[in-house]
Amino acid sequence: MNNLGHNDKPVVEHIMKGEVEKKLHGLPVLPVRREIAHEVISMAYGFFTPVSGFMGRDEVTSTLSRMELPDGSLWSIPIVLDVKQEEIKRLGLKPSDSVLLEYLGAPLATLDIDEFFSYDLGKMAEMAYGTRDPKHPGVKRTMEYSGDFVAGRINLVNEPVFNEPFSEFWKTPLQHRQAFAMKNWKNVVAHQTRNVPHSGHESLMKQAWFAANEDMPVDEIHTGVLVNAIIGEKRTGDYIDEAILLGQDALRKGGYFKDNVHMVTFTLWDMRYAGPREAIFHAILRTNLGCTHHMFGRDHAGVGNFYKPYDAQDVLKAERDKLKIKPVFLRENWYCPVCNEVTNEALCGHENQSQNFSGTLIRSILTDGVKPTKRVMRPEVFDVVMSSADKYGFGSPFVTNEYLNSRQPVFNLQKMEVLAS
Amino acid sequence: MTKDGGIKIDVWVNEERLEKLKAAGLAEIAREKFAGMMVLEIACTEELKDALLRKYPSAKYDSSTTHSIELIPREVKDGIFSTALRLHSTGPEVIGQFLQEKKD
Ligand SMILES: [Zn+2]
Repeated sequence: MNNLGHNDKPVVEHIMKGEVEKKLHGLPVLPVRREIAHEVISMAYGFFTPVSGFMGRDEVTSTLSRMELPDGSLWSIPIVLDVKQEEIKRLGLKPSDSVLLEYLGAPLATLDIDEFFSYDLGKMAEMAYGTRDPKHPGVKRTMEYSGDFVAGRINLVNEPVFNEPFSEFWKTPLQHRQAFAMKNWKNVVAHQTRNVPHSGHESLMKQAWFAANEDMPVDEIHTGVLVNAIIGEKRTGDYIDEAILLGQDALRKGGYFKDNVHMVTFTLWDMRYAGPREAIFHAILRTNLGCTHHMFGRDHAGVGNFYKPYDAQDVLKAERDKLKIKPVFLRENWYCPVCNEVTNEALCGHENQSQNFSGTLIRSILTDGVKPTKRVMRPEVFDVVMSSADKYGFGSPFVTNEYLNSRQPVFNLQKMEVLAS
Repeated sequence: MTKDGGIKIDVWVNEERLEKLKAAGLAEIAREKFAGMMVLEIACTEELKDALLRKYPSAKYDSSTTHSIELIPREVKDGIFSTALRLHSTGPEVIGQFLQEKKD
């Protein structure tokens, strides 16, 4: 199988095998937070190909200033590991040392240190996000870094064991490729989501399916939709992760998509809301999963009014040659009482009668727990969202403080002897 | 019906609720809002809004776009709907009565 990812670089896993505990014995231990642990896991499985470790100064600078890696591959978002000076001193770390990254009290990965460096955080934020406004969540995240960074390649030493319902939806990039091959998919269009699907989303995916099928005959079907949810940092008011995955999956289970055209998976990643740069990142990510096409709608991965609605589409157009994946550009869907259907604003001429799917409106319906009409949301999706709310969300399909503090973890790591020594 | 710009609470109406409204002779005051979804708009005064937000701190008043009180807990919305049905009204007395009963 051809496992070439972004910029035709091979998708390679970086996982330590054989007598792992022995190899880890005596390494200094650096605990990491959730964001970093998620990035370590994603890099180790090749989601970020060709990036396979935390970036050094040159990589960060070329990412920020030229939107590429030193090898010329298109790359938009710095992947960095910040550490506190005290921590470096405490562990007595120096370049070419190896350190064991620990998460949830268990070994996670080794980091082979290449470099220590510091970076101007304001500059990093401004170049990545086009603003220094701390109201931008990506800027806020950057400004919270310590300013001192450690770079180096990582090797996963402990594979995450996902809890249900995540276990059902977890696939590494190589497993994505195998799953596509099993389904005989030649073309796969990725749908980026952090949402429970309403009928507007469902129609967008269906419109994208036709675009992605291109000129292939349809006597046999060789095109699929990959719904790839982003699982990472949650904020109050977001949909709970479990409702997103199970709600998306309910579209296929309910027959709104056939088994042979639809699949739901997820990627561990904290959204940076970097608008155009995040769109590039999503395109790279899904290239590595083996997708041939990627949906981009209005205000892709934007936040507030920091980016214009079609900024992301513009940058994708400009960088088109450096991407293997084809963007499928889409306008918004709305409900039109004249057409009597969910339709696309690019097509329907009844602008004055159209009714927009607003997030606030859907949220208010779900908060009331009132089953929507089929034109708003499929009953199977609604039912599974409500049962997820009871089972995982402490009664709410939206993230609450209780969910943030007491939710069941996405995955566990096996304890290993090494830390005890 | 609330005047434009007046404070309101949207109570979503599905088939089950529509039946109850029909039985109470109130079906025609439910308004279609979006793709077949109906709402009952319950009017609210400034004082009642403040009292409601004090009692249910998760709720938020959207002063900029919809002028509606959002994120009211589901059980509270159920209670407001029942009160509207009982009083045959969508006026501010519904919230007044509802809060009065919650006090006891
Ligand atoms: Zn129309």
